[in-house]
Amino acid sequence: MRPSLRTLAGLALAGFLVLPLLPLVAWSVARGWRFPALMPDQVSAQAWTFALSSQAGVLASFATTTLIATATTLLALLVGLPAGRALGLYRFRGRGLVLLLLLAPALLPGIAVVFGLHGILLRLGLAGTMPGVILAHLIPVLPYMTLVMTAVFARFDPAFEQQARSLGATPLQTFRSVTLPAIMPGLMIACLFAFLVSWSQYLLTLAVGAGRVQTLPLLLFSFASAGRNDITAAIALLYILPGLLILAVTARRITGRGAALTERLHP
Amino acid sequence: MTTLSLHGLRKTYPGAGQAAVHGIDLTVESGSLTALLGPSGCGKTTTMKLIAGLLTPDAGEVRLDSAPITTLPPERRGVTMVFQNPLLFPHLTITQNIGFGLRMRGLSPDRIEDSVAAMLARVRLDGLGDRRPAALSGGQQQRVALARALVLQPKVLLLDEPLSNLDPSLRDEMRQLIRGLQQETGITTLVVTHDQAEAVALADRIALMLDGRLAQHGPPQDLYRRPASIAVARFFGGVNFLAGKSQRGIFHSPLGPLTLPTGAPEGERILTLRPEALHLGPGPNPRTAQVKAVTFLGTQNRIDLTVDGLLLQALTTPDLAAGMAPGTSLTVSLPPEALWLLPPDGTRGTGGPTGPVPPTLRA
Amino acid sequence: MTDRTRLVLLLAPALLVLGGLFLTGLGLTLLRSFRYVPALGMTEPDLSAYTAILTAPGFLKSLVLSLWIASVSTLIAAVLALATALLLRQTFPGRAVISFLVQLNLTIPHIVGAIGILYLLSQSGSFARLAHAAGLIATPAEFPVLTQDPYAIGIILLYVWKELPFITLILLANMQTLGEDHESVARSLGATRWQAVRHVLLPLLMPALLAASALVFAFAFGAYEVPLVLGAHAPKVLPVLAWQASTDSDLTTRPEAMAMAVVIALIGFALLALYARLVGKDSPRAP
Repeated sequence: MRPSLRTLAGLALAGFLVLPLLPLVAWSVARGWRFPALMPDQVSAQAWTFALSSQAGVLASFATTTLIATATTLLALLVGLPAGRALGLYRFRGRGLVLLLLLAPALLPGIAVVFGLHGILLRLGLAGTMPGVILAHLIPVLPYMTLVMTAVFARFDPAFEQQARSLGATPLQTFRSVTLPAIMPGLMIACLFAFLVSWSQYLLTLAVGAGRVQTLPLLLFSFASAGRNDITAAIALLYILPGLLILAVTARRITGRGAALTERLHP
Repeated sequence: MTTLSLHGLRKTYPGAGQAAVHGIDLTVESGSLTALLGPSGCGKTTTMKLIAGLLTPDAGEVRLDSAPITTLPPERRGVTMVFQNPLLFPHLTITQNIGFGLRMRGLSPDRIEDSVAAMLARVRLDGLGDRRPAALSGGQQQRVALARALVLQPKVLLLDEPLSNLDPSLRDEMRQLIRGLQQETGITTLVVTHDQAEAVALADRIALMLDGRLAQHGPPQDLYRRPASIAVARFFGGVNFLAGKSQRGIFHSPLGPLTLPTGAPEGERILTLRPEALHLGPGPNPRTAQVKAVTFLGTQNRIDLTVDGLLLQALTTPDLAAGMAPGTSLTVSLPPEALWLLPPDGTRGTGGPTGPVPPTLRA
Repeated sequence: MTDRTRLVLLLAPALLVLGGLFLTGLGLTLLRSFRYVPALGMTEPDLSAYTAILTAPGFLKSLVLSLWIASVSTLIAAVLALATALLLRQTFPGRAVISFLVQLNLTIPHIVGAIGILYLLSQSGSFARLAHAAGLIATPAEFPVLTQDPYAIGIILLYVWKELPFITLILLANMQTLGEDHESVARSLGATRWQAVRHVLLPLLMPALLAASALVFAFAFGAYEVPLVLGAHAPKVLPVLAWQASTDSDLTTRPEAMAMAVVIALIGFALLALYARLVGKDSPRAP
């Protein structure tokens, strides 16, 4: 294919990729945009003003969603880092089975597990609470975290740790001053994407939160079904903001080799 | 000054059928530089990691002087190991790498700085302290790894193949640096290597390991001239072996009676003679030989001979070999002082009953 | 500490979470699908929930719809992703921008994309307005039904839009790992550029493409919020139908919801098995 044709194909692709986002941008600043007007009659900050006011509940919801995603990520890290180390550094009988078990929640639809999960959390008294939602989010987030950490540890040479021990470092010192710096880039990516996976959850929050935990996607849907296109669009744009920030931080890493890490990014 | 000793040290890896280290007893004299020599896979590195505390032995003990350290974690042993790869921590500068161990001990930054600066100078890397490991050449990295261990003034220093990652041109320099620093500090040092020339050039004493066992331990000359078994002799390039019987100073062999040096042991033995000691010309124990092949090896020529249908090999200077073409007949002699008798069970030294039979015995 | 105990300790928390929440959740769903709920006095398991859903026409229609959506969107996304990956590994002006957009798309939650598609394609959406401006239609009702439609065109478009970048990135990562040596050898053996791609690169990429497709299929089959926004009133996709049955005020439909969840899980496990077969050979290396 000639370069000019490639650029043409690229343009078509770019158009396809940004197209669904354009109406959102337009709607968020539109006022009274009725069919068949091609452009909004009036550009207005009304939707944004409402979305950012305290009465809309968007900001509170933003905080709730951030808190849940952060807590889920940290919890997943605490559990997934050791597991990733075991799977990345050691070959052992049953390793394939463990990997498969880890992969299952990432691949199985949420609806398959959500009824039983709700039953468990109900019994634990966690249904309709934020801790309950965090535990539920752990199910799709943990596989992602563990598999990325597995890949990170598979590229880590444990001889560095032995060398540190032989130079007089205790196990804790070794972890802090040798292992952690070495796995930090991969760990950051795992955390950012784990955050995004939790950030995007809809059904699990709906089922386990039982209407009492209102994250952004739930709020977004209630405004969308109420037909408030302008406010919906504003919330939708607020909702994709963290993803954009994370992309800005990691864009360089995701390309090429790092792209393997995005393999499990599937909110 | 510390003596390191190993007592019945044994290690089998889980899942492996054979023991990697098969009950080693070894004493590394205080202040000596001992080479732990052996082919790859013989258990050298495992032994070293057992000493460093990076592996736990199944049985046996490691002692410093008389104190057992077998159950101490690596950081409390006073034993520091330098790995075959330099393993410099990539996120730290050279200075920070060398100061790593001191920082772990909680020393004050001032003291660390002084020690590191002095150490940098001793390994001739002054001015490179602020660089990252990736900016250094392989040889420089190896020197940093050495400095990082030496700055801790360990009781015992373990070096795993310190020269194997270097270009031949850098090896000599590094060898001299190791030797010099070791003599200066007097730190008891054990160097793992698979290269006999390196071991001979570097070490006071050599401990030869074969198949997880200690085959012989002594000064380099002993292992060369007075090997304990066929396996040891072959590891050091021995090729000429004759089975026979030693009686009152005479060895009765397929080549007829050979005069032995005084004090040679009696009975069924294997006689060995280093190829460079086989004399091309008349002398004691003369025999008539036919030249089969002459191979140019650079500084030496290898000459394959047959004597009474038996194969012998000689190494000689190229000038002496000049004019020897295959088929030529000449007189060779086997100097009694170069003849060494091995115990007959030496034939089973390397690989058990099915192990390789020395070539001369086969001919 | 032996290696074995160390391994167990390292893996225990993750296995505990997965076993305690995920597997137990699945198990509980399974039990309840057999109408075994001791808390409600239902202690005699039977298969009536399964009979009920299999004889109700709604379930089969939903199952077919879900499979249709998953197959068509996976197929289109996979083909376009392959083309995109082949495009993006070449150099041309603007490639960096496209690469950025591909990644950008990956971070956008499905529900946002679904709303975007809705505003774009609905009968009063941007395209309908363009059609009106061009004089093709006079009223919204004349614009073809592309969202909340029986063929799930809107849903399929959303999945293609969202999953194309996902598969593309996996393919690009794989191409980078493979390098260009194989193709170079093929070229030196007389293959044309296209032949090298067709006979060497594509077969090498196929496992990754199939594995990624299995993931996409699983997601498109099981997602809930996308059909919620873009789906028609009837038939509903299976997850939406199951959720509806579970929240019905009529408590007798609950076991039917569980039975549908079990059917969804079974299809999920089949895809998992397929995925494991496809990628099982290149799991992370040991030290």
